Amino acid sequence: MNRFELTAAPVDLAAQREALKHPGSGGFCAFEGWVRNNNEGREVSGLEYEAYTELAIAEGERILAEATERYGVLAASAVHRVGNLAIGDLAVWIGVSAPHRDEAFRACRYIIDEIKHRLPIWKKEHYLEGDHAWVACSHTERAHELEPPHAHGHHHHPHTVVPAHPEKGASPEKGASVGAQCLHAVTRESLDPSVRWGDEQKSFTPDYSRQVRLREVGEGGQRKLADARVLVIGAGGLGVPVISYLAGAGVGTLGIVDGDVLDASNLHRQVMYDARDIGQRKVDLAARRVARLNPSVEVVTYEQPLHAGDIADVFTGYDLVVECTDDLASRYLANDAAVLTSTPLVLASVYQYEGQLQVVTAEPGEPCLRCLWPDPPAPALAGSCVESGVLGPVPGVLGTMQAMEALKLLLGLPQPADHALQLVNLLDGTSQRLPIDASRGCALHGGCVAVARRALERAHTEGELERHFDRLDAAVQSGYAIVDVREPDEIDAAPLHVTSLRMPSGAISADTLRHLERPVLLVCASGRRSAHATRLLREQGVDAWSLAGGVAALADPAVS
Amino acid sequence: MTRVTLQYYAQLREQAGASSEQVSTSASTLRDLYAELQARHGFSLPIAALKVAVNTQFSDWNRLLAEGDTVVFIPPVAGG
Repeated sequence: MNRFELTAAPVDLAAQREALKHPGSGGFCAFEGWVRNNNEGREVSGLEYEAYTELAIAEGERILAEATERYGVLAASAVHRVGNLAIGDLAVWIGVSAPHRDEAFRACRYIIDEIKHRLPIWKKEHYLEGDHAWVACSHTERAHELEPPHAHGHHHHPHTVVPAHPEKGASPEKGASVGAQCLHAVTRESLDPSVRWGDEQKSFTPDYSRQVRLREVGEGGQRKLADARVLVIGAGGLGVPVISYLAGAGVGTLGIVDGDVLDASNLHRQVMYDARDIGQRKVDLAARRVARLNPSVEVVTYEQPLHAGDIADVFTGYDLVVECTDDLASRYLANDAAVLTSTPLVLASVYQYEGQLQVVTAEPGEPCLRCLWPDPPAPALAGSCVESGVLGPVPGVLGTMQAMEALKLLLGLPQPADHALQLVNLLDGTSQRLPIDASRGCALHGGCVAVARRALERAHTEGELERHFDRLDAAVQSGYAIVDVREPDEIDAAPLHVTSLRMPSGAISADTLRHLERPVLLVCASGRRSAHATRLLREQGVDAWSLAGGVAALADPAVS
Repeated sequence: MTRVTLQYYAQLREQAGASSEQVSTSASTLRDLYAELQARHGFSLPIAALKVAVNTQFSDWNRLLAEGDTVVFIPPVAGG
């Protein structure tokens, strides 16, 4: 049983130790961190710890789980103090019980190293001279990184660590769409940021002199950036350069949206992360990276994708949005919300060796994404990095271009008078700018605002009915009963390779489905018939859901 | 017959196996041209999912082809 705690009260050591007793334990190892009277040559009179509580607890529990898995220990606990501490007080306690001493020692060392490295806890040192400084509690050296690769059975960070989503209802995954948007604000400005460079610790003042020197930027431009609030959707291949450059430039507030954890396959293009970060939430990694790059930037993280129900509200809190996901539906959703809230939007996407860039100013009479392509093609036709492959520098180039467009907008730099789709082919080294004629786009269908409003309403309704799965066996594992509502000839042409009930959409029986006592996932070719049937079934009290995009959206319809 | 230069992006480039080619075509409009190319290269994207540009300007699918036109077919792409 693992437990991580943050506490403002003294730690009851006997109780902590007792809780780790286990009949199978042959070794117990504890570590205590105490407040000492000096740090880096200065006499310290006391300490104050401040934590970003939710994140610190989640991260602390993750560290304990990792240590348990890596070293095969029986139980591990850790307690970190917050608030004011005096010299000699216990600041952190770690205990591990294991079958043998070696695992206990190693796990204990791993936990303290990771806690120092990863936990969002800040230490304010009070010096005898009467002044104080905030010190980031991060170390760069971790003993387990020096271990030989096959020293034990669990060398790699677990790849299966996923953020826990609170379940809000009986249906699996329901929490993901109806749960409240998780929002964490990390304000580093209020902490009088200090950073540690090797052995030296000094207060950090960003130096923007190289960009302020530009005549078009100047001190006035720098103030505009400091006042700006920018939302970056997606902290992946495109998002990494966008976040890095905007943080470096001194954009005052960066919102970062990403629901994913870092995977090893991301590292070839997502260059601000490294191998130690695998399995961790990208929003947390990105927030930590920004804090190190420019501690004066305030970061707000959203650990669930935005959806039709909340996106417009979120956009109203920002001056500019940069869309960096690998998801067409997200890009269209962002377009609609940008148009409706008059928030400028910088869009880019990549495919293998090429990319596209479009700035939607969201001003009346100026073109949007739907002016070009009124509706997204079926997901299976659009291609993604997963299916089609991508060379690392391609999102790097396009993301860098997005950062440039964002800065141009924020600073009011000179721009071409027309609006264009920019196509970049990095194999040929060619780039072309295709001017967009707004009068030939949404203007023919009532204008961008009317089109966006209809689309957002539709997405809202559909979103309440749909579930997204790449593979049906994942849906089965999540507890859904699969109901194939296609006609027999369609099923024969492309049978599902999971156990399913066949019930053509015209002959659906609510009674039969209700008796399954499980949520049902309806599947058709495109998601239209299943959405319609889902609506009807819900009216009859069935816990029904529709597979978004239908069979066409599955990763490989032949085997899913 | 009209001689035109074609440029392909994304899946179309992949399915055509080249980022550009020169063709002589009997098609009169862009729509006919795309249908011809779809048959030749097996393009999976329907016209509704594409934009077309001629000589660096977006164009209507009913536009008539002229000798020497450079035609670009552009699907939206999803990667990031």
